[in-house]
Amino acid sequence: MTIPSDSTLHDSAGRGRETGGADPLKGARVAVTGGTSGLGLALVRELLGRGARVAFVARTRERVGRVARDERGAHGIVGDVSSKDDIYPVAVQVVGELGGLDVLINNASDLGPVPLQMLSDTECEDFERAFSTNVTGPFRLTKALMGALAASAREGRGAVVLNITSDAAVNPYPGWGAYGASKAALHQLSRIWGEEHAADGVRFLSLDPGDMDTPMHAAAVPDADPTTLKRPEDAAVELADAIARALPSRAARGASRATVSELGGVTR
Amino acid sequence: MIAAAAAVQRPPDARLLVVDARRRIGHAPRAAFVEFLRRGDLVVANDAATLPASLRGVHAATGARVEVRLAGRPSLGPEDVGRFSAVVFGEGDFRTRTEDRPAPPPLAAGDQLILGPLHATVGGLLAHPRLVSLLFSGTPDEVWAGLAQHGRPIQYAHVPAPLALWDVWTRIAGPPVAFEPPSAGFALDWRTLAAMRGRGAEFATVTHAAGISSTGDEELDRLLPFDEPYVIPEATALAVRRARARGGRVVAVGTSVVRALEHAAAGDGQVRAGEGLATQLIGAGVRLRVVDAILSGTHEPGTSHYELLRAFLDDATLRRASAELDARGYRTHEFGDSVLIERVRR
Repeated sequence: MTIPSDSTLHDSAGRGRETGGADPLKGARVAVTGGTSGLGLALVRELLGRGARVAFVARTRERVGRVARDERGAHGIVGDVSSKDDIYPVAVQVVGELGGLDVLINNASDLGPVPLQMLSDTECEDFERAFSTNVTGPFRLTKALMGALAASAREGRGAVVLNITSDAAVNPYPGWGAYGASKAALHQLSRIWGEEHAADGVRFLSLDPGDMDTPMHAAAVPDADPTTLKRPEDAAVELADAIARALPSRAARGASRATVSELGGVTR
Repeated sequence: MIAAAAAVQRPPDARLLVVDARRRIGHAPRAAFVEFLRRGDLVVANDAATLPASLRGVHAATGARVEVRLAGRPSLGPEDVGRFSAVVFGEGDFRTRTEDRPAPPPLAAGDQLILGPLHATVGGLLAHPRLVSLLFSGTPDEVWAGLAQHGRPIQYAHVPAPLALWDVWTRIAGPPVAFEPPSAGFALDWRTLAAMRGRGAEFATVTHAAGISSTGDEELDRLLPFDEPYVIPEATALAVRRARARGGRVVAVGTSVVRALEHAAAGDGQVRAGEGLATQLIGAGVRLRVVDAILSGTHEPGTSHYELLRAFLDDATLRRASAELDARGYRTHEFGDSVLIERVRR
């Protein structure tokens, strides 16, 4: 089975926008779930490299500690997005440590049954776990962080939610039932949310990074030739570019400040 | 009034008592709040999320169980999370009325408090044996993690079921810097904000570290509200100027917004963007320079919230409003009904 590496399912924002000049990600406050391996770790590194302030979330304390030590400046948060009780403690730390939030990347994903199973052979518990991590978790976390995101938009910083999806959300690949159905739900969640919060200035992206050489892909397709797969570092660059296009340019942010200053009565 | 005992932010039957600028009193469903707005009005709310500021633990020297309620912070900087002022209670929890809670063991500078994963040192007493400054050990991220994992929302006996953070975060909650929820904002949800836009009213926010509302100790309660840091975004300062210029009203959602906006305009009447520390008391005789109306919870005479309403209204009208709230069985406290009061024009 192959997954086209460059398919973009949905990009509700940012079309035709040029970032122009300085990278809008510089100084942006970004949270990444599933940030200790695969695409998530590559995103943490890419965003830090572009001057963003990054908080990442993952389940394993030891791995969170290691990435936080290795990636200078990254804020490590231990939490499981599939657990209802973890969502608000994660939100407290994300917004507390970053002082606000401009970009949320719902990247943490669960493949469902490993090895992959036909839907009728999929245990209900595996199906539910995939939906908890891939749909309900992003729903809860995004909802809890919507206030912070909308505040960034009001302040002219822009606000973006990037949901990592897959072409398994639209193509009926046998064996990918739990994962594909959950990603389809996440994709539709993104589209509806995007419509509902457009006026608040919060943009939603639902992007497919393609088939990557990651632990998740190895679990799904153990005999895949890694040399035929995309490097997660390359996918991270593309995704960061897409986020940058959806954020206001730094020049625009500067201009809005100047407008305020010219009016007087405003101190920096 | 009746204490609202269920942690429901927007009960379908929530009510709104309205006092207009001509001192007329009316009643409406709270869901109809936006119908009182006019094109050009600006609604300003407090987007502070509520910190899980109640920490159970042990006073190391005596082994006595204590509850620490964080109550103040010198600034809102994300790194500046090591220093707090706090009210300390003895054994027990929110199920006992604060007035009936035992005192903590005598506290002194240097005392260690073990609060779950957090370790704090008492810096000293602050004008009262139960009010202390605390210094937390660890990096800012460690303190945030400790608060997030171990802290619970500050809670009072009138709500019997333990509160979760989702009970006390408003829909618009952003930075977790409030010690108790800016509960006037419970009235708002995303649909309400969309309806405001539909009526041509603007929406903006301040972030204000709303403090604790009651300690159960009369002497300590007289010190409330403590100094509260706030941040006014440039976009909000600009929105206030725009509203003024077009003759729109500035409607504050909650007393903390009044306190922040009026403090930020203390110089020349223009709201200044940036961080500040609200130190002033607002009450009878204070001239409001920015805020034209307030959407607030219902408050009983004698509280600092009620005192603030005296800046909007003469005492006779306020007394009439209070009598109406009582006579019609309005619910009070953070999950209760609301009032919308427009300042009497002078």
